[in-house]
This record gives sequence, structure tokens and C-alpha cells, in this order.
Amino acid sequence: MSCSPTLRCAPLLLTLAACQSTPRLSTEHVGSVTEVAGTLPGIHLVSPVPNGDWRLPSGDYANTRFSPLAAINSSNVMNLHVLTTASTGVPHGHEGNPLVVNNTLYVVTPFPNNLIAIDLTKPSGAIKFIYEPHPDPRSVGIACCDVVNRGASYAGGKIVYNLLDAETVAVDAETGKEVWRTRVGNIDIGETTTMAALVVKDKVLVGSSGGELGVRGWLVALDLDSGREVWRAYQTGPDRDVLIDSRFHAFYKKDQGKDAGVTSWPGEQWKLGGGNIWGWVSYDPELNLIYYGTGNPGVWNPDLRPGDNKWSCSIVARNPDDGHVVWAYQLVPHDHHDYDEIMENVLVDMDWKDRKLRKLLFHPGRNGFMFVLDRQTGELLSAEKFQDSTNWASGYDLETGLPKEDPSKHTGGGRIVRDVCPSSTGGKEFVPSAFSPRTGLLYIPAHNTCMDYEGIEANYIAGTPYLGADVRMFPGPGGYQGELVAWDPVRARKVWGVREEKLPVYSGALATGGDLVFYGTMDGFFRAVDARTGAMLFQFHTGSGIVGNPMTYLGPDGKQYVAIYAAIGGWMGAVAFPDVSADDPYAALGVVGAMTEIKKVTGPGSTLYVFGL
Amino acid sequence: MSKKSVAFNVLVGALALSSSAAGCGSRPTQPAAGARTVSYAPWGTRVVVNQPLGPVPGIGDIAPVANPFGNDRTALEEGRKLFVQFNCAGCHGGRAGGGMGPSLRDPAWRYGSTPDRIFNSIAQGRGQGMPSWGARIPEQQIWLITAYVSSLRTPDEPEAPR
Repeated sequence: MSCSPTLRCAPLLLTLAACQSTPRLSTEHVGSVTEVAGTLPGIHLVSPVPNGDWRLPSGDYANTRFSPLAAINSSNVMNLHVLTTASTGVPHGHEGNPLVVNNTLYVVTPFPNNLIAIDLTKPSGAIKFIYEPHPDPRSVGIACCDVVNRGASYAGGKIVYNLLDAETVAVDAETGKEVWRTRVGNIDIGETTTMAALVVKDKVLVGSSGGELGVRGWLVALDLDSGREVWRAYQTGPDRDVLIDSRFHAFYKKDQGKDAGVTSWPGEQWKLGGGNIWGWVSYDPELNLIYYGTGNPGVWNPDLRPGDNKWSCSIVARNPDDGHVVWAYQLVPHDHHDYDEIMENVLVDMDWKDRKLRKLLFHPGRNGFMFVLDRQTGELLSAEKFQDSTNWASGYDLETGLPKEDPSKHTGGGRIVRDVCPSSTGGKEFVPSAFSPRTGLLYIPAHNTCMDYEGIEANYIAGTPYLGADVRMFPGPGGYQGELVAWDPVRARKVWGVREEKLPVYSGALATGGDLVFYGTMDGFFRAVDARTGAMLFQFHTGSGIVGNPMTYLGPDGKQYVAIYAAIGGWMGAVAFPDVSADDPYAALGVVGAMTEIKKVTGPGSTLYVFGL
Repeated sequence: MSKKSVAFNVLVGALALSSSAAGCGSRPTQPAAGARTVSYAPWGTRVVVNQPLGPVPGIGDIAPVANPFGNDRTALEEGRKLFVQFNCAGCHGGRAGGGMGPSLRDPAWRYGSTPDRIFNSIAQGRGQGMPSWGARIPEQQIWLITAYVSSLRTPDEPEAPR
């Protein structure tokens, strides 16, 4: 039985009682809603949230990872059980999450980046097609942190995603035929693409990976229909390359001035300057602005790049039509610790402290601070530590936008700086948080990991790592290394946390209308906790550590399902692989020291799990 | 140079010749006298030239070439420095425990653990991202790096992880 949420199916759906209680919309926002029952007063959702289908990497443009589906809730979640599983056959880190569109579930695998379409109308999910793009295998050796892919977008009948070898593809969602394929970067200079391509209107937004290989970060916009490049914006270099013009208004003086992407670097170091965009892009359809964070400056040893190193470690707001920058705010000038700030930016309109509705941007930072910005102007409204161990800075000066840094934690050549918290992997990693308009809380998958950091010499050899640092990480103080933190962004405080003793939380979060928060752990537990109290209501031990993001959808039977990848990998998770030796704490860019337990509790996997009642 | 590799290279030369000649309509069945042999890399070190890439079919094997530096302490320390300078550490780990590239500390060797095999892996490169360093690193320095890699997890390892 085939049943897509279009009008032709309406008579059939009406015969099913379950469908009547969860009617689908037949507008262009099929499967999504802007009004959520139980939304707290003083909260406005910027973009429709997924209410059946899940068509964008984060479900919605605002990166809330919230679904109003409430059939699974605190009264019945303990009855959740595995309904089906599917192996992708690729035993590497499955970051990201599936999409569900028109009763088809789409999985993008890590390299070789196959697209697997599963027909949800068939028992146990029959495979509809597998698209195999065969990216260049040389890209495997230049991917810094496992051969991951963080997801896809659906738009215009196409599934659009990135291949590891710096290509973007659009695949017909019905037939699995390649519609177009565009080379966006060059693996010979270390460029890869791992982020989840986001489709905004008629454009596909793709950013670079390669901050560990001296890649000069960029964001490109491709035409959704043809794959043709429409604009390209670099994150370093002259204003004309960054697409900064007279329409640019940085809120803080430190971020103003001409050609800062050149003048904040020594010589031509900006050409190897990093600032890559390997995380998440958000979009505000009301302001017509996209938001994203940029990665670390190249090279890791800060002595080799005196200056602010713009626009690394920044949040950037651009107009998606021509790419011009509207504002930018550098969270950390002259990064000393490899604090990429590519983390998700969650867009919510919310009553601020003065009780006035403000257009906010939440950025749980890798550097351990939870940032709240006015997303119209780029003004920093709040920056508080969400992990107590954070010690590289004591706080932020809201007048200047600058961190109050502890100079004793500044790294450099010829000395080992000890006990820097968080480590380069951050107070949280790229794994995205979730926001519930019913609780007003942001659910942050957090880490408590610290490090010793020594700057060393660095030689640029195209296509090889350009690091200049010898790093070893270890669990932070307090007897835990991971925590799901429920954070009140207006009061700037933690409401509750669920701690993991041995390993960081390296999965994304999902918040639902059932007042549940779903997440996974690196030792393979898939969990649901009460969104208001953090009480653990459900857990299931999957076959591999979880580094993907939970998502939820309505099946053709109108019932709610929850899906998650269980397949360890990624930067920290790759320590579970046989290719990494546990006796070298400096291995895998220093994460092995923090991950000594992982081989004992999990191993490689490649499985999609689907849960239901 | 062994007889096997000579024979192999002549064969490759013959194939190259016949395929180019085929376009002219003639079909020579024997390679011309003095046909140039084909080597796998342009830089021509004594190890790389005419060295088979994989196991050689038939009985026996080519005798491994010893590392001229053995486990000389100064050489190992020099090899360790080069391991960092040429960014080997970035991929294979700060103390070669792996990361972007596989661990070199463990007992698993995709392309062989003898010094000549390690030398060739560095000089020729390997699939899935190991660059060919033969054109960039002088032969003697590749031997120094090879000596360091061979010393991992032995009492001779310089800057061993604690």
C-alpha cells in the first residue's frame, strides 16, 4: 500500500482512525507546523517544525530539532521497542540522521556516501533504491575525523547532500537517479565536505571541511535545479572574497574595519587560514538571513599567526540570495585552543529579560560558553559557562564582545600548557542541541574533557595535516565526562543535567511534543528523558556507540516512530576502531587520552534503529 | 635486482610497445631489442625501482632490504623529528597511534612491516590517502623515518608516550 501525504491519499487516510487525529497539511510545508500546542507564552517559532515528515537536516530551518509529535510521551515511552533495523554496511561514524519524505526514509552513509531509500509502506522497510556515487577514495586519507557525513536536505523532489571528496549531488527522491553533481572543492589541497547541505529557497548551501589541513574556509551556494555555483564566500581574505560590502554592520568595534580577513593575519597566512564551515547552517525566513559558525584558524599553533585571525571562530549572518554579509561576530579572536565554533545556531523569538520579544540566536559554544545573540544585529546578550570546568576565560565582556581570558591558558610554541578546559573537542562538539517551545529549554549534549597543549613547528604541505600542536586530552574534573544539559537561555542557567561517567555525549538531541528528550551515548545506549526533570524514562542498548541525531516521524499508518543511527565514529568515536592504538594519548589529534575506555564498551557498527510503541 | 623483477618489467615494456604500435596497424609479437623497462616511480631509488607492488606469484620472495640505520639512537631521534616535520604525526597520530591514517604502533600492517615495505609505503604512497613521498623526501630521510617507525613499541622508541 502506498500512501503519500497528498490529497489523493486523503480518502484512504480518513478510513484510519490514527490518521484522523494527526491530519497532515497539503501546503508546501507538508508535514510541518509553526503553531505548537503547549508553547509557552513569549515564545515564537521562526520556521515550521517537522510534524510527520523530516525534510531538513535539523527538521526545521531554525535548528530547534523539535517535533510536536506527542503520541510517544512520558506515559508510554517505557513501552518503546525496536521495530526494525537496517545495516548500511559501512562501519564508520554515522553522524546526522535520516530524512523521511512521503513515506520514504533516506539514509546517507559515511564514505562511500551511498543514499539508501527505504519504503516505509512495505513490511520491515524494503529498499526502494540505493544510489552509489563512488567518490574519490583518496578523500578518505584527508578527512580529519573519520569519513563522516552529517546529513541531507529534501527540496524540489531531490535529496541533496555532500560527498566526502568535495562534491555535492542532487538525487531524484523517487527514482534514485542522479540529477546533478557539482565539484565544490579540491581534495588535493585537503578540502572535503562533511556538513549537511541546507537548501534555502532555490539554493543549496555547502561549506568546507579541512581546518586541520590549512584549508581556507568557504561557503558556496549552488542552484537547486542545475547545481551551478551561484556565489562563493570565503571566510578569510579581502572583503570582496568574504562578500563584505557597504551593507555590512558588525555590532562590535573589534569586528569592524576593511579587509579584516587580511589585516588580522601575518603576511599571506590567511590563504591557509581555516574558518571552515563543517557544522550546521540555520535560516530565518522572516529576516531572510542564514547563520552559521566558522571553525578554527589554521594553523593550531597560535604563535604562527599573530592577529585576530578573522573570520575564524565567528558567527556570520548572510543574505542567502547573493551571500553578502550582514553582520559577523568573532567569538574568540586569535584562538589558542582549536575551539571551532561551527556549532548549531538555534533561532527562536523569545521574551528577553526586559520582557520584550527578541529575535534570538542560541549558540552553545565549543569553548564552553552558552552564547545568546540578537540575531538582527549580532549583539551579544549573554555568555555563561555551561560546563563549570571551563577555565580558558572567566566570562565575556558584553560591552566589547571580548572574552576575559586567562593568559596562563594561552598556548604557544615551546611550552606545554596544562589543564586547559575544555579540550579542543569542546564543551560540546558539533552534535546539535534541541529546543522545546513547551519548556523554553535548550538541551545541550555536553562534554567535560580537558587537555595539555604544546605548540610545535608546522610545515604546510598541501593535502597533509597542518597542525603545529601536540595535544593530549583527558576527562575533566568531577568524575564525569559527558552530560545532557537542560539550559534556560533567558536566565542563563542550567536547570538539570544527566551525566555520563566515562564518555562524552556525542549524539544530537531531539525534543518532542510528548515532553521527551531523546539522545544516545557513546557506549550505545539510546535514551528518552523527561524534558522537564531529566528523569530517565527509557533506554535501550544498541549494538554500537551513538554519534548520530535522533529524529521522529509519522509512518504511513499514522503512528509515531523514532529513528537513530548506532555506529560509533567521528573524531572522538574513531578511537573505538582497530586502526587507532589506545597506548598513544596523542593519537587522533590528541583525543585518545580521553577515550581510554571506549574500546571496552563499544565497537564499530552500521545500523539504523527504528523504535515505536 | 632479482630476476623476477627484471622479467616483469620487460613484460610491461612489451605491453606498452605493442599497444602504441597497434594504433599504426602493425602487430609486433616480440619486443624490440633494447626496449626500455618501465619503473614505478620517476625518482629511481635503489629500493623503489623495479620493486613489485604486491606479493610476487611463485615460489620464494625477494629478500628484504635491511634498514641502513638499524636502531642507531641518533638516527631514530632524527627519524622522529622528520615524522613530525613531514606531517606524518598529523595523520598517524602524535606518537603514531593512528587517527586520519592507521596506527603504526599496532601489529597490523596492510602493506608489510619489513623495513623495505615500510620504505616503499612512504616512497610510493598507498591507497585511501597516503601520499607518495618519494619525490619530496630524499632517500636517506625516508630510511630515517622508516627506522623510527620500526622502533615503535620497542625499548628504542624515542619520545615514547607515557
